[in-house]
Amino acid sequence: MTAPDRPPVLTRVDDGFALSLSPDERALLSSIPTQLADALGSVGETDGELPEGLRRLFPAAYPTDASAEANYVSVVRADLVEHHRHALAILARTASATHLDDEAAEAWLAALVDLRIVIGASLGATEDPAEPARDDPRYSDWLCYDYLTYLESLVVDALAGLLPPPAPNADDTTPDDPWGDPPGGLRWDGTPVPPNP
Amino acid sequence: MTDGFAHLTVDRVERRSRSPASAPQPVGRRPRPEAVTTAITGYETRARLGAGTAVAVGPEKLDELDVDRPWLVIVWNDPVNLMSYVTYVFQKLFGYSLAKATRLMLDVHRKGRAVVASGPRERVELDVARLHRHGLWATLEHQS
Repeated sequence: MTAPDRPPVLTRVDDGFALSLSPDERALLSSIPTQLADALGSVGETDGELPEGLRRLFPAAYPTDASAEANYVSVVRADLVEHHRHALAILARTASATHLDDEAAEAWLAALVDLRIVIGASLGATEDPAEPARDDPRYSDWLCYDYLTYLESLVVDALAGLLPPPAPNADDTTPDDPWGDPPGGLRWDGTPVPPNP
Repeated sequence: MTDGFAHLTVDRVERRSRSPASAPQPVGRRPRPEAVTTAITGYETRARLGAGTAVAVGPEKLDELDVDRPWLVIVWNDPVNLMSYVTYVFQKLFGYSLAKATRLMLDVHRKGRAVVASGPRERVELDVARLHRHGLWATLEHQS
């Protein structure tokens, strides 16, 4: 997929990152975010208007409480759509750039995450990536997904280097896992919880 | 208006009567808060613990007004988001150390879910919204 001797994609410089990508990569990164951003333009403010392929970008906060969920959606949905579209627009706009400031790099990460979620969901991607078969009708989508995985991991590593030191005492604030079994009975998407391994 | 306090008290009565400390906990899934509240059918009158005051209870309000039990932010495993990314998000949003964020990420990965934050409902709902902005699959749960 990528030559092992290629120069580093992201190199830290004073005010951001130097970006080194091939013309093919830049062409891909300028086109697919726009497609997803356009699709997001059709998302309304309730779940009923959510296209199936985009559902996984909008998980439920209250999978077992319809009225609380409806309230949550009414409060956050429009902002969440705008957040996704904004990040995708920045990726498409800066795909040909040779320099990214920190803010743009964060937008790249957000957009890559969104793209992988949508493409991965449509492909039925699992945690154990298999080499895509060449006769798979969606072979090119799998290549695209694998490329985005590769790029996302680079951007995560680059941005993780910019994280501030841990907040004082933050590690002590969460309760220990209070359950022997998963809570609720329904997962984020309303499907049943799988049994514990 | 004493409703808030009354709900709190009634829920305690209900839960105490149902699960005394000496009784063995059933193996398997614990009841959700809904299961507890639906045990109180409709608007019932219950004796208030200690004071003997009768109060009316709307079960739909119990969860919101019970301040003793925190709300939990749960992140669920998903097959797409990268382990390094999930760790990064926990560090970024909650200020956790790399070690703690990694441990939570591994809980998500291996057990299928992890509690990553807890607190009053308003705050953890905001946490869930921030996690959703980052593409993670988070839900709220009232601690049972």
